[in-house]
Amino acid sequence: MAMRNAYIDQFPKEARVIRAILWSSFLALTIGGTLGLIQGLHRTNVLRFIPSQDYYTVLTAHGVLLVITFTIFFLVGIFTWAVTTSLDRGVKDIRFTWGWYAIMMIGTLLVGVSILGGVVDQIPMNADVLYTFYSPFQAHPAFYVGFVLFVVGTWLAGFDWFRTWWAWKKDNPDERIPLPTFMALTTMLFWYLSSIGVAISILAFLLPWSLGIIDSVNPLLTRTLFWFFGHPVVYFWLMPAYMLWYTMLPKLSGGKLFSDPLARVVFVLFLILSTPVGIHHQYLDPGIAEGFKFIAMTNTMFLLLPSLLTAFTVVASMEHGARQRGGKGYLSWLKALPWRDPAFTGMALAGLMFAAGGFSGMINAGLSINYLVHNSWWVVGHFHLTVGTAAALTFMAASYWFIPQLTGKEIWNRSLGLVQVVLWFIGMTFMSNAMHRAGLFGMPRRTAEPQYQGFDFEPAVGTVAEIDAQVALGAALLTLSVYLFITNMVLTTIGGSTSDAIPDNTYAGTLSGPEDAPVIIDNLKLWTSIAVVLVIIAYSLPLASIIDAGGLFGPGIDPWKPSVVADPSLVLESVRGVMP
Amino acid sequence: MRISKGGLLVIMAFLTPLIVELRTVLSWFGIRLSVVETGALGLALIGAVLIWALWPSNGGTEAKLA
Ligand code: HEM
Ligand SMILES: [Cu+2]
Repeated sequence: MAMRNAYIDQFPKEARVIRAILWSSFLALTIGGTLGLIQGLHRTNVLRFIPSQDYYTVLTAHGVLLVITFTIFFLVGIFTWAVTTSLDRGVKDIRFTWGWYAIMMIGTLLVGVSILGGVVDQIPMNADVLYTFYSPFQAHPAFYVGFVLFVVGTWLAGFDWFRTWWAWKKDNPDERIPLPTFMALTTMLFWYLSSIGVAISILAFLLPWSLGIIDSVNPLLTRTLFWFFGHPVVYFWLMPAYMLWYTMLPKLSGGKLFSDPLARVVFVLFLILSTPVGIHHQYLDPGIAEGFKFIAMTNTMFLLLPSLLTAFTVVASMEHGARQRGGKGYLSWLKALPWRDPAFTGMALAGLMFAAGGFSGMINAGLSINYLVHNSWWVVGHFHLTVGTAAALTFMAASYWFIPQLTGKEIWNRSLGLVQVVLWFIGMTFMSNAMHRAGLFGMPRRTAEPQYQGFDFEPAVGTVAEIDAQVALGAALLTLSVYLFITNMVLTTIGGSTSDAIPDNTYAGTLSGPEDAPVIIDNLKLWTSIAVVLVIIAYSLPLASIIDAGGLFGPGIDPWKPSVVADPSLVLESVRGVMP
Repeated sequence: MRISKGGLLVIMAFLTPLIVELRTVLSWFGIRLSVVETGALGLALIGAVLIWALWPSNGGTEAKLA
């Protein structure tokens, strides 16, 4: 025990909270992954466990559990590690840390129970609104309250990190912000800015509407406010992965980060550009002028820059590491990388898949070419590469390094870990490739039974049945991968043996350090102000015209609870509509 | 072995997207493969990589890196 210097030895109290947080995250992943398999098999008609009427309940749970619960719990855990490790000081008051975690948990439970109400008759609630909760879909108030509590928990978490940094700054007035802390803080700044959108959408409109205080809402307004938050949230998922690629991958490769200043520039660019782009999710929304969409597209294309910078820096750092390990040649250095290490291999494969996701993302981002793929399964294929792999696989891979740090125990079976991350890559190749191709021949997303009567999709190559088989196969491999992951984590935690051989809690050094970055890069106030100005430019006119055209509370639309059973009066009305 | 076991595993995984999309690419040139043909081609590719990887390397310098 004497010499070990893992995170749990340095910060035992923080390690306990982070462990609890990561377990919440893993639980969400396991349930969410299982639901993904149900969806994949249902849509492809391989096996139908649920009646199609319940599909939206399952899809809501899958979306919320994976892209809100799993990812964001992981983020707050890992950022707590990053801030405390890089500032080399604990949080100010551990009770506060437990406090925001508890608030996030209560929020999660409220959301979870209200979604579950969709399939359990004993729970008199319903929230089949998907993770985007577009009106006129309406959820039980508990869903909205839970969502808000969860977000408030993240705000407090951010405050926890900020005040730890402020305390550190007092003691170290002349030092540069350590890179991991810089990353956590810039990420939180755009999170504060953007989550105002969803807070207004829920507190001013959706919640009062669900409570019956107001009669109607303006669907375009709440939708626009959702995407004001919804695009930054994709970077919220991605930033912890980026942080791990910058600070852990070079270290695991055996080298150093190529450039600290470049990494800072990347995070500043995300802070500035994450929010004023949300309208790119609404290219097909009527009621927003094309000019505003064009501005959103332009900003979006600029956002490619930091990701390309990241690809360059991370690969350069890996090459440096490989050469430190004796790698030679133009490409032969790749062989010198530690491919046996599930943490390294998982993150590297996640980065590779992210490149593919970036390419399909460029298609999504193009205002005109987006019409080809909008709302099709292409989009689902795209984000299973980004959040579903670049973030998810990085998080799982990193856990093979973090769980020993947090428990002081060796991973139960590292070879199984390697198989697990590789299996994810293979499964996602099958599933995501087939989804992209299905989207290209027009197969819609978000539907339980995409095969219509009297109409056949025409794939460019092969048949629809082959595409379906590919999705089902991919989904099965992915779910197996999730189960292998969780088994390994559980057995490590409860069965694993405490070990003295856990590596020290450190992150990558740099070839070019913060001293090479101009001091202005650390001026968080400046970048935040620029971000705010850009948001005002991108959003004030569109919001004004949406409110002008549709009214603050909408032109009087009744809430609509999704149901597959036909409403007789509606049938009558449509019959009347087609009669001469 | 020319590369480590881990490296071999990753190369095989990396072949998956290549094999899956090879079918699409070939179709642009008018070559339409069935699923079985694609599978056979994939197995042949995997076999070729295995032979390359397991072949004893003559120089011996690369083997040290594994
Ligand atoms: C076991 C692994 C997984 C499988 C088998 C799976 C499967 C699926 C399928 C088939 C759909 C399409 C539903 C439809 O369009 O009707 C879907 C949607 C979705 N998945 Fe996954 N998925 C998995 C993992 C993930 C992960 C790790 C994430 C994110 C971290 C994720 C996020 C989403 C989201 C956000 C949607 C869209 C929900 C909506 O349209 O509202 N999935 N998934
Ligand atoms: Cu977006």
